[in-house]
Order: sequence, then structure tokens, then C-alpha cells
Amino acid sequence: MDSAISIKGTREGLTITLGGGDTQKLYEDLSRHLKLQGAFFRGGVVALDVGKRTLDSERLCSFRDLLAQHTMTLRTVVTADPTTQSVADELGLRTIGSETPDEPEPQAQPEPQPQLERQPRPLAPQRPRASAPAPLASNPVLPRAEPIGQDDLRGLIVKRRIRAGQTVRHSGNIVVIGDVNVGAEIIAGGDVIVWGRLRGTVHAGYPEDASAMVCALDLAPLQLRLGTLIGRPEEAAGERGAIYPEVGRVRDGAIVVERWSGIHWGN
Amino acid sequence: MTQTRVITVTSGKGGVGKTTTTANLGVALGKLGYRVVVIDTDIGLRNLDVLLGLQNRIIYDVVDLVEGRCRLQQALIRDRQIEELYLLPAAQSRDKSAISPTDMVRICDQLEGDCDFVLIDSPAGIELGFRNAIAAAQEFILVATPDPASVQDVDRVLGILESQGRTQYSLIINRVRPDLVRRKLMASPAQMLETLAIPLLGIVPEAEDVIISNGKGLPVAHDAQSLIGQAFSNTAKRLLGENVPYIPLLEGRRSLWTRLDPRRFFRS
Repeated sequence: MDSAISIKGTREGLTITLGGGDTQKLYEDLSRHLKLQGAFFRGGVVALDVGKRTLDSERLCSFRDLLAQHTMTLRTVVTADPTTQSVADELGLRTIGSETPDEPEPQAQPEPQPQLERQPRPLAPQRPRASAPAPLASNPVLPRAEPIGQDDLRGLIVKRRIRAGQTVRHSGNIVVIGDVNVGAEIIAGGDVIVWGRLRGTVHAGYPEDASAMVCALDLAPLQLRLGTLIGRPEEAAGERGAIYPEVGRVRDGAIVVERWSGIHWGN
Repeated sequence: MTQTRVITVTSGKGGVGKTTTTANLGVALGKLGYRVVVIDTDIGLRNLDVLLGLQNRIIYDVVDLVEGRCRLQQALIRDRQIEELYLLPAAQSRDKSAISPTDMVRICDQLEGDCDFVLIDSPAGIELGFRNAIAAAQEFILVATPDPASVQDVDRVLGILESQGRTQYSLIINRVRPDLVRRKLMASPAQMLETLAIPLLGIVPEAEDVIISNGKGLPVAHDAQSLIGQAFSNTAKRLLGENVPYIPLLEGRRSLWTRLDPRRFFRS
């Protein structure tokens, strides 16, 4: 494999370090490498060290989605670039500055890691690290048996308020613990769950999965998109009545929003 | 050496009262005996000098300073009435690209220790002018009117500040019309805080006094008897850490204002 990418196992999971060179080329190299050896890393939690380069949201998402294709979860971005850091923040990823002392400096160990090092580690319970700021609180990871299916790995938990102008995208399901303000945007390949007020724009089942659903403690988005359908909740004049959890789904080709109670999930 | 607090007043949206707030907080803090420098970063559209009635005293501006045509002391203009209030004016020609965020950091480094407060008046928007305005500040005052567009723009700015790890901020709610709030035709401060979820620093009602005083070039905060002057002076005291109760704007309508009790919104 190309020496510009190094992959090594750490106690936290895998660290993939992008060395110098063109980002697109590194992406292709990583893609090729994962195709060949991806099975080694199945189910791994990944920290991506991008060094000083600036990645936009689209580019960072492409890496995340590439990893997701190989059932790996991008959880942390190690970066020295403030723009990349804020992009990663907006995507709900944990960020660590490159200069954080307890993070092994990638340049310090230039020699290729022996093959054994690349073995995936059993997922140890993640401990919150006192030194690292964690915008996304660490999910307790239970000791896990065999993954049930690929879809179960595709999830993103964002534990903060999403403000106007911020976008959270993920190819799988998105859970937001916090409010989604007017002007914010959530785009998920799967379902969207908001434990809070949903006021912004939400698209579940992006681009065309009509089986996706959106639920929220207070479901009042500007626009609700499910698969290829776009719904605009009634513009209630004046005060809204009692607030209760609701769920929006597609039924008979139309978006239906119902109160969350006694809903049966059988098809 | 005094500890200098560098605070940027910003809002995203234009016309919500950033410059008015900066001028009045500067005056209110100056009246309390603090040494204050107000900086106008709205290069090309300078206004702060007009509100303070200092436009005819400008010789050098911030661009002259950055480009080395003068020293900092030469560019600072002393207020007509308040001994320890100084203005660093923006340039009227040129545009925002005439200075950089680094220049702002350098200017504020020079002021460090020489004054108690540096208040930076930000231009509208989130582009270069805004980046210049926030570069040197540790604290941020967000100004919003009850208009939903203004609230959304402040929310956007908060997102940007948070993504840079700048979380020392508080909110001034400007141009509140209590009568409209009571009739539910205007968002209440409580509703705004529900969306923005940041500490409240002040509530300033809408009043003709502001229009008149801006026309005269004499900030309304000079008149401590007026309702608005009082609101700004209270805001300045809260900035100093005092726990000042909010003026009841709705006589005999205690229920609404009980709900607005800001103590609920202060963290810690």
C-alpha cells in the first residue's frame, strides 16, 4: 500500500493517518486499501488524522461514507486546521487538535506498522478522556457480540443544539439530543430522531428511501422531507396547543405526522 | 496594569442596534468611571463616530493606524463629555479588506492593560468584516431584536462562534415593544432565549429617545433618568457582574414578567 496512509490499532480503535500529498489521491488509495483488507477492520471505530490539511464538509463526508461502506465508524478527526475542526464539529464528530500531547504524534512513528498491529481490537468500553474536549459525548459502547447487520452500525449521535446555518449529514441514522433550531438542516440516509424541539429542515431517507421516519419530542420543522417527498407542516396561526412527541412517516405516498402513542411498528 | 476585557458587539443582521448598543454601553461604562475604548470595524460605512458626535474630530482612523501612518495614541479620539471614553474610528473610504484579523489582534494587544474595556462594534454579516471584529475578543455581546430574522441570524453567529470555541457570550434584546409582546404580536424575551439558549445581559425597549439622541450625536445613556438610559446603565452593571433586576416594562402585568425573570437563564 501507499506509504502516505498509515493505519494502526490503538486502545481507542483504529487511527488512520493521511500523510502528505493530494487528498483525492489519498482517498482513492484508502478506498483501494480497504477493498483489499477491509475485512480486517470490520466494525472498527476510527480516528482520522488529517494533519494540517483543510477538508470541507463534502470531502470529510466522503471519508466517513467510505469507512461506513466498510462497516467502520468515523468518530474522531485529528486536525491542526481550525476550518477542518469546525467542519468536523458541525458533522457531530469528535475533534482533537493535532498537538494534543496524549495523542500519538503521527510523524513521530514514520515506520510502517507491522501487519499484526492492524488487527482490529475488541471494542473496549470507551472512557471519556479528561484532556480531550468532547463536543460529542462518548457513547458508552457495550461489549458487543457479532454485529447483527451492517445497518446497525450506521448511526450518528449528536449531543448538542444545532443552530441556524449548521448542517448535520450522515449516510445512516441521525439522533440529535438537543434542539434543532430554525435554519438548521439535518440530512440522513436513514431515520432521524430528535430528543428536543425540531424547528429546522429535516430530510430522512435521503435521497429516496420512503421507509424512513422522523420523530421528535416537539415536531415542528420548517420542512419535513422523507425520501422524495416534501411536506410543510401546517402553519398554525397563533399559539400551538399542547406539545407531545410525534412521528412523521410516509403512508400511501403521503407524509403523515401522528402523535407518538400506541404506534405499532409491525408493517 | 488593569485587566482589559475585549468585547465584540455583533448580531449577523444589520439594523438591530449594534452601533447604538456599543455607543451606549461605552458611555454607561465610562460614566461608571471605567476607561473604555470603542472601536468601529465597519470600514467604509463608519457610524460610531456619528452616534458619539465625534465625526468632526477624526484625523486618523484604524486603516491609517494599520498602515503605519499614525500611532495608536494619535488615532484615539477622546469623547466630548466622558473623560475616559475613546473612539478608534473606522475609515470612511476603502473596505473591510483594508485590515485583517491579525491587525485587530495587534491593536488590542497594544490596548491591553491601558484600559478596562475595549468594545468592538462589528459590521453586519459574517464575512471578513465580522472576522476582523471577532478576532481579538474574548467575550461577545449578541444584539437581537424580537424579529425572527434577527433571532435566526444571531443563532447563526452563535454557531460560528461555538465552532471556534468562543463561548463567552450574552444577549441584549433590543427594541422590545412590551405592548406587542403582551398582545402576542411580538416574540417575548423568554421565547427568544428558548431558541438561543444563552445568558441574558439586557433588555432594551424601543423608544423615540434613541432616534432623537442618535440624531444629536449624544447617546441616550447620558440621561440616566430616561427608561432607555436606565436600561443601558443596568446592562453595563450586569456586564460588571452585578445582579441588577430588570425594569418592569409592563405595569401591573407581573405574570408575564415573572416568566421573563432572567435569573432562570443564567447558568451558574
